[in-house]
Amino acid sequence: MTIRSFDLLQPRSLAEASDLLLKHRDEARPIAGGTTLVILMKQRAVHYPYLVDLQSIPGLNRIAKEVDGIRIGALVTHRTVELSRLVRNSFPVVAEAFSTIGNVRVRETASVGGNLAHADYRLDPPPALLLLKSEVTLFGPGGSRVIPLKDFFTGMYETALEAGEILVDVKIPNMPTGSKAVYLRHSALSANDWPCLGVAALVSKENGRVRELRLALSGLAATPVSVDGLEFVRDCSFDDSVLDRILGIVDEQIAPFYDLRGSEWYKRRMARVFVRRAIAQLESQA
Amino acid sequence: MANLAVVGQSVYRKDANPKVTGKALHVGNIEMPGMLQVAVLRSPYAHARITRIDKSKAAGLEGVALVMTGVDVAKMPGVDPYYGPAFRDQPILAVDKVCYVGDPVVAVAARDQRTAEDALQLVEVDYEPLPAVFDVLEAVRPESPLVHERHRPAKAFADLAHVKAGQQSNICYHFKLRTGDVDKAFADADRVFEDTFSSPPAQHMPMEPHVTLVYLDEQERLNVWTASQSPSYVRTELSNTFSIPMHHIRVRVPYIGGGYGAKLYAKLEPLVTALALITKKPVRYALTREEEFLTITKHKVITKIKTAIKNGSITARKCEVFWDTGAYAEIGPRIGHKSGYTAAGPYRIPNVWIDSYCVYTNHVPAGAFRGFGVPQVIWAYDSQMDIIARAIGEDPVEFRLKPALEEGESFATGTLVRSFGIKEAIRQAARAIEWSKPRPVQTGTKLRGKGIAAGVKAVLTPSISGAIVIMNADGTANVLSSTVEMGQGSETTMGQIVAEELGIAFDQVHIVQPDTDVTPYDTITAGSRSTYHMGNAVRMAAVKIKAKLFEVVAAKLEAHPDDLVAGGGRIFVRGMAERGMTISEIFLAKFGSLGTTLAAEAVCQPTAGHMDPETGQSEKCTEYWFPSATAAEVEVDTETGQVKVLQLFSVGDTGTAINPRHCEQQLLGAAIMHLGLTLFEEMIFDEGQLVNGSLLDYQVASIKDMPESFRPIVVEVPHETGPFGAKGAGETGALTVAPAIANAIQDATGVRIRGLPITPEKVLRALAEKKGEALPQD
Repeated sequence: MTIRSFDLLQPRSLAEASDLLLKHRDEARPIAGGTTLVILMKQRAVHYPYLVDLQSIPGLNRIAKEVDGIRIGALVTHRTVELSRLVRNSFPVVAEAFSTIGNVRVRETASVGGNLAHADYRLDPPPALLLLKSEVTLFGPGGSRVIPLKDFFTGMYETALEAGEILVDVKIPNMPTGSKAVYLRHSALSANDWPCLGVAALVSKENGRVRELRLALSGLAATPVSVDGLEFVRDCSFDDSVLDRILGIVDEQIAPFYDLRGSEWYKRRMARVFVRRAIAQLESQA
Repeated sequence: MANLAVVGQSVYRKDANPKVTGKALHVGNIEMPGMLQVAVLRSPYAHARITRIDKSKAAGLEGVALVMTGVDVAKMPGVDPYYGPAFRDQPILAVDKVCYVGDPVVAVAARDQRTAEDALQLVEVDYEPLPAVFDVLEAVRPESPLVHERHRPAKAFADLAHVKAGQQSNICYHFKLRTGDVDKAFADADRVFEDTFSSPPAQHMPMEPHVTLVYLDEQERLNVWTASQSPSYVRTELSNTFSIPMHHIRVRVPYIGGGYGAKLYAKLEPLVTALALITKKPVRYALTREEEFLTITKHKVITKIKTAIKNGSITARKCEVFWDTGAYAEIGPRIGHKSGYTAAGPYRIPNVWIDSYCVYTNHVPAGAFRGFGVPQVIWAYDSQMDIIARAIGEDPVEFRLKPALEEGESFATGTLVRSFGIKEAIRQAARAIEWSKPRPVQTGTKLRGKGIAAGVKAVLTPSISGAIVIMNADGTANVLSSTVEMGQGSETTMGQIVAEELGIAFDQVHIVQPDTDVTPYDTITAGSRSTYHMGNAVRMAAVKIKAKLFEVVAAKLEAHPDDLVAGGGRIFVRGMAERGMTISEIFLAKFGSLGTTLAAEAVCQPTAGHMDPETGQSEKCTEYWFPSATAAEVEVDTETGQVKVLQLFSVGDTGTAINPRHCEQQLLGAAIMHLGLTLFEEMIFDEGQLVNGSLLDYQVASIKDMPESFRPIVVEVPHETGPFGAKGAGETGALTVAPAIANAIQDATGVRIRGLPITPEKVLRALAEKKGEALPQD
């Protein structure tokens, strides 16, 4: 398992990196932590004559607190997110999602930006980040643009990144006041396996009354799903009829496909089970 | 076992320090000047004729020493391009056609690995696809496409001498056992149970993938360093394949990083030898994990089992076992035979009918896998034992104990069983799991249940182990043995046996690693046979040395040799420790010098009786047996189907434990391995194409999957001819894990899973079916 020879290009700025990507087009690929890309290159499943090393660009590996949330640089490692006091205190669901990936060595190397840009449908962070209505900053030839994360994932291993564009950071807005969130993953094979599905849920309350429910799911189909149409839960309690309605909405908005970790039938069942469990867990913490 | 000094002690393993500190030599660490590295182009087709290979571009790449095809191999003078332990059916490289996705087609040897892999991408191969067959039950039909047009028996092993050149069929071996009158028993039965069980192909997953290094020394002798469980066989196979006399081949095996059956017989050695012979340079080929998936697997097995019950007892059993041996027979016929004859279980059943078929398909070849096929047949018969017990209202433990064979009773083969602790194993398992404790009534979505399973494996017989013990003048000893240390602890066990017999300290014995220039023949390091066979050989050799020492001491001290004992590095008169001599004093007395050695050779060669090819009856089908039982407690999440193993007890009759800790570790290690195989391991194929052929998608059990409570229980029923009463322990813990868990799941939920692995989805589907829900087909 060796990698075909390639040139490692080390830009000093985003603009330079973008130029390199534009110049070499399909022959170039940005590399951050490399935990996935290097395996694919070793398997010779892919080959890029040029790798654009984002690690050589200063400033992409910071977690910054902002008034309305936090901004996590694309080069921040999973392990840094997992252990960050800021993330653990204010966005525990994000720390939890990043802590479930692979093993410590992988998490020490893999980057937040690489994880999102790879757009594997089975990854743990997207549901937690979608739940919090995160946005991503993309830098490209035309400058920077900010898009909601839910618009970033466009297909299996496909994203909204255009030629010469680089994912710069992810902005996570503060959690609504009075809210709690949870991420549950279900491994159908060994405990270390990719999730069969991941479910993130957020419930916010005001004076003990439900104000909002958010749900996001991954692992079921090519892109993660952020569930719409849950506004009706406002002022409801999560009794059986409300739960049934929620589960019905979820069922309508997911389109699971068969993979090694479950059939469509099984994944639909699991979506129901884990959405219910996530809500129950949030309710029991209330 | 009175007065033993080292045998029976849990001494620390000899290989622990070098392995933990990273000093242990492995084939992958050996560097040689000018060594070439290898990459192999593999078939993308399950079955196809090769119509053209253009290797010119690859051969022209700088740094490439050789681009070799199967035709090139076939043209080498004196070379048989096909090899294999049962049939010579496997080409070193595909000659005219490929038989599975992953079949090696072209090999490149180059100055470094990257160049070799770069060159592969320049090789062009054209194929003409042929009809292929993937389903083992379809492959046995006469109208199915043939994987091989002719069968060529290898005649490499005495126990496979009866393997015949087959007719035009994918069945390469058919074992039959017939005793009593099953038809009559089924006609007379109160109830008949019929079930079909399946067990999928899986990976051995040794930490160290296959690796082989071959070079020609200054005398042009073939030198082979290889991660192999069978150095003696590799030498024979290379001698036969390349027409090289045996004294011109030297096979050495350092510590290997696990084998589990994957590294038996010849694997990479013929290919690397061909490359080294042509290039005249050292050549090493190390498989990637992805290639490991395409090299050897555990047999997929379908077992149809039918059992007659009359007055609460089993009166007849009929088993049809279909082994998917893949594109090349490998050792499949031996597995079909040895496991086939145990397929009715360790039970008293008057009428038995067994057909065991080893069948070619266009899948990755299947071979030996810890348990040698027996876990697959126990999966069937001891799952069914539970089904029957629960259906007729018998206690599953009592239902097994009642017909479990007693010492001296006849097995289905007609062989009388000896050292057969099956009942004790079942009782110990039941006690450990508190079987008789009343179960609380359960509600909710987490249901708990307990399960027991039992079964037995027989050791490969006949087989041969030779050993030489060399006593040094300072009272230390060297042991020459071809048993491979692959983590099982054989070096330590052999050291204990020799130290015990010679009366010296355990750390005064050095075990020489397998080297066919030096260490005598050994059939294989596999099948839980080394402690018994090699243990007996080293012990007998030590006894011969001791007799020579006694002779000197008896003359010198005017004592009778029968009154002498060895202990504490001395030979002395029994009961009179002061009347004796040190080993050095004996050497001085005998040779007048300390500059010499005493050597002795011994061979352990148990024989088997003739087995009738029509009835499978034999006065002696095996030298000894490994009774096994497992007890499991599970918790089933009825919403997800997920099975959590709460408790697991692995019980094995190992004979006398030479090193009790090692026996426990073997029982646990085997159980952990089979825990993964039970719950999630499966190589998934789509029209012959492996879908999950990497560790990204194929999972083995990790520390996170371990049961909360997990304990080995060693049952010691001494064997009268085992070294100090020992048998073996390498596979016993593997045998009964799967049915124990399936039986516990039925106990918890009432549903029965008949196909491994027991994934959450299978359990959830079974629960839904039980509730009468309509399910989509998937």
